[in-house]
Amino acid sequence: MSKYKAVIGLEMHCEMKSQSKVFSNAENSYNDNPNANIRPLDMAFPGTLPTVNLECIRKSLLMSLVLNCKQPEYIYFDRKNYYYPDLPKGYQITQMHAPVGTNGKIIIDVEGHEKEVLIHDIHLEEDSASLDHYSTISLIDYNRSGVPLLELVTEPCFNSAQEAVAFLEYMRRIYQYCDVSEADTKKGQIRCDVNVSIMDEKDTQLGTKVEIKNVNSFSNVEKAILYEIKRQSELKEAGKYDEVEQETRRFDEESGTTIRMRGKVDAIDYKYFVEPNIPKLKIEASWLEEIKKDIPILPRERKQKYINEFGLSEYDANIIIKEKDYALYFEECISLGMPPKTVANYLIVQIIAYLNKEGLTIKEFYLTPKLLKQIIEELEKGNISSKQAKEIFNKALLEKKEPKTYLEKTAQLSDEKVLEDIITQILENNKKQIEEYKNGKTNLFQYFVGQVMKETKGKANPNMVRDILIKKLV
Amino acid sequence: MNYIKTIEELHEMLKNKEVTSDELVKDSLKKAHFIQDKCNAFVTILDDATGKEVNDDLLSGIPYGIKDNYSTKGILSTGSSNTLKDYVPFFTATAVKNLERHNLVPIGKTALDEFGMGGSGTTAHTGNILNPWDLKRMAGGSSSGSAASVAAGVYPFALGSDTGDSIRKPAAFCGIVGYKPTYGMISRYGLFPFASSLDHCGCLTRSVKDAALVVDAMKGQDENDLTSWDSQNIHLFASLDGKVKGKKLFYIKEIVNLENYPDASNELKEHLDNFYKTLDLLKEEGVTIKEESIDRTLVNAIFSVYQCLSCAEATSNMSNLTGIIFGPRGEGKNIYEMIKDHRTKGFSSLIKRRFVIGSYALQKENQEKYFVNAQRVRRLIVDKMNELFQKYDGLIMPVSTGPAPYIDGHKEEITNDNTTNLEEHLQIGNFGGFPSITIPNGFINNLPVGINITGKCFDDANILNIAYALESKMPYKNQVAPIIKEGPYE
Amino acid sequence: MHNFTKELVDELADKLLIGLTREENELILNEFNVIDETMELITKIPSISSVEPMTHALPSSTYTPREDAKEESVDISDLLANCDAYEGREVKVPKVVGGD
Repeated sequence: MSKYKAVIGLEMHCEMKSQSKVFSNAENSYNDNPNANIRPLDMAFPGTLPTVNLECIRKSLLMSLVLNCKQPEYIYFDRKNYYYPDLPKGYQITQMHAPVGTNGKIIIDVEGHEKEVLIHDIHLEEDSASLDHYSTISLIDYNRSGVPLLELVTEPCFNSAQEAVAFLEYMRRIYQYCDVSEADTKKGQIRCDVNVSIMDEKDTQLGTKVEIKNVNSFSNVEKAILYEIKRQSELKEAGKYDEVEQETRRFDEESGTTIRMRGKVDAIDYKYFVEPNIPKLKIEASWLEEIKKDIPILPRERKQKYINEFGLSEYDANIIIKEKDYALYFEECISLGMPPKTVANYLIVQIIAYLNKEGLTIKEFYLTPKLLKQIIEELEKGNISSKQAKEIFNKALLEKKEPKTYLEKTAQLSDEKVLEDIITQILENNKKQIEEYKNGKTNLFQYFVGQVMKETKGKANPNMVRDILIKKLV
Repeated sequence: MNYIKTIEELHEMLKNKEVTSDELVKDSLKKAHFIQDKCNAFVTILDDATGKEVNDDLLSGIPYGIKDNYSTKGILSTGSSNTLKDYVPFFTATAVKNLERHNLVPIGKTALDEFGMGGSGTTAHTGNILNPWDLKRMAGGSSSGSAASVAAGVYPFALGSDTGDSIRKPAAFCGIVGYKPTYGMISRYGLFPFASSLDHCGCLTRSVKDAALVVDAMKGQDENDLTSWDSQNIHLFASLDGKVKGKKLFYIKEIVNLENYPDASNELKEHLDNFYKTLDLLKEEGVTIKEESIDRTLVNAIFSVYQCLSCAEATSNMSNLTGIIFGPRGEGKNIYEMIKDHRTKGFSSLIKRRFVIGSYALQKENQEKYFVNAQRVRRLIVDKMNELFQKYDGLIMPVSTGPAPYIDGHKEEITNDNTTNLEEHLQIGNFGGFPSITIPNGFINNLPVGINITGKCFDDANILNIAYALESKMPYKNQVAPIIKEGPYE
Repeated sequence: MHNFTKELVDELADKLLIGLTREENELILNEFNVIDETMELITKIPSISSVEPMTHALPSSTYTPREDAKEESVDISDLLANCDAYEGREVKVPKVVGGD
């Protein structure tokens, strides 16, 4: 571990979920077929103009509220001007002067302690086209051009790679919970820029900031930060801190290192100015109130509820909130009246393990909460043993049949009248043992239970057998 | 047969079967070729055009011209630039689409100062566009070909666009009517952009009534243009009644008063004299006209503010012209060299110079002083105008310093002499998005000159009506350049 | 005073991906000086910095954003009809190296 204090800031770009793109009405979805989600603006044909997708504004404001940001009086956009082959207009429409959210904060959990993350701003912008590189040529596919992006910029408030990644993980979950994005890193829906500097523990002035652009997975974010801290610390250690330059680097996946792209003097002047084709749109307070109502319970609050109200362990709660769909499954089970601890146990031990093994999502899981209830309810009543429950669970999944089909076959003998008759008969035949039991040989109780089980071929409800025997032996 | 008529008159003839739409179109095409030889007004003449069905719509069956910076599906649309010299769009501009519903017949695409940047008609990739009144003079720009062709009687109207005065100045130089309505009344979707916050669509005609008719047909809120607005309740043509008694107009002392121009040429003196005489005509109709004063710093800033804003927006708007997706591919080892080659060869010198200035004005360290301050002065000027519009129906001003200048010796360069304010004041109309119309008000040295009326936003009908009343007091309605007598007309 | 020089003009032009002749470069400097003189005067307008910049032609409006509905893609033959170099359905350029 470095003896220096690391200071880390993040920029997190997340592709938003919507029917159409943010400034054109082309479809917003991944398409294997190149240039098949295109409206004229997406390839910047002369005379085309941007329009603004209401849903994208709504979702950005929702995120702004979730992050406890300040919202601007008006929504409007800026042009960020630069030439790159993936940017057909020669500028990106983004928000510089008035982001949908500024000055926010959110609390996350990092390894059991709370951390307040300060949000510089969150803004709505458009994605660029994608380039496919070949040996001598590149091909341009404009499907991604204009896909809505939310860019979240934190203050440099993290001190370790672990904190930074915990934040990214938590934000990924929030995007999913709020239905703002699928936030799937595997699909390239989240991309990060990371800036890292180091300083002496006692220093008050920040060190030289190095930016690492376009890191495409959380594990690479972690590696990039760790590498940068190491690189900068080694230079500082060797008295060569002046070699740490304010520059832009990229993360090289193969070598696990960062590589210089350009220095401060080559920094691009983006010549931002307000996009004149999109008028300013007043944000009415009533609209914000409406959007506020759409904010779901966030994962951290859910976790608190699971622990405090449902009595789950923090460990279990953490696993369940990790995926929004787990939490929704869990909560539906609770609303169906199943006991939280049993459900949590089933979810974590049986269901998630099964899903992982089969490579399925919980949405594709055959045993919906309603079907699961058929098993849990019987288990709770004591009508089946936990071993039987597990067997039914597996059979139902294998044969895709409702659990109750199997319950009938393995149903326990729980009819009190029938059990009483059987027990009365057994006691009649074992008068001698009753005598001994009453004289203090209490371990004979198990003998009677065994006899009942033998008679009922193991189907007798053990709890009831016990109750009846106690009553009769008094 | 000579079809130099207003749209209403042509409609009468079509209805009475004195002429068919097809005959009108054939005649128009013939004139187009004639004027092309003389004035170089067109990028494309649509020789295959044929007549359309005539119905009760006044516009049905009538031929017209489209400025070549309007996107037209399946028809070459160049913006008069080599960067788009072979560009054939797959979609049509909303304004043109709206006209298509009226059974109008496009005859050709008219040449312009490249992408509308320029006021002389000397930067089109197809060469200089000449004034039909005097072929040694410029037609004015940027709607040069539209102005020249309408003035030469090719058809009753053509579309224009106006970022600084690109409809209203060539209209004056060519002795016709040029009208740009309030910003956003006509959708800009499909208009090749120059400076988006200043760009307006509009038309060039030979009468105020025709201008009202045409804009009635072009306008309308468009879901593709967020800056367009609902004008369903505005009926320009129907609201022209010529009643102007009690209307109030003003002119700006710091621009119009001859004392501002100690070295005034005779031409300028005559032009201003003619302006005051024209005001008398309105006064006869019961219009009050007063002189108003505006802070000289603001007046003197108009032109530079316009340059800072328009050049800055233009460099960004034209960043899509790379020759990668459309336009001729440049040569080069890598993509940047290819783009640079395309742009260096494709743009005229004027545009390149403006880009550099715009880019400088936008640089981070300069933006506050140039671009943002220009935006601030824009507001001060617009606020001042709106304050005056509370007292007045409109601003009435002479257009330019006189008739069209000679092409020879003209340099399309940014200079500042003491007549700049008189040349450039129409830009006020673009700063505020104000409705603004130029009509011919006489001749100096046998060349037409114009007068302009500008009013407050959304008050187009009022402004047009004042122009209509004034037009009725003068003999210049529907005038055409004498060149037509040499043409294939009788 | 401004720092608008011959070198800067070339640098700006290069960043805009346009080439300039020597004459054009000189012309720009002259033209710019005209603008700069007035812009210099503007800075002297009292409390100019407190004026809200006017970014749009019309005052802030309450436009209605577009409902989130998708339209069919433009046909690929239309998209590539004006393109001088493409391969399959994609626009072809020399290999792009480096990146942003």
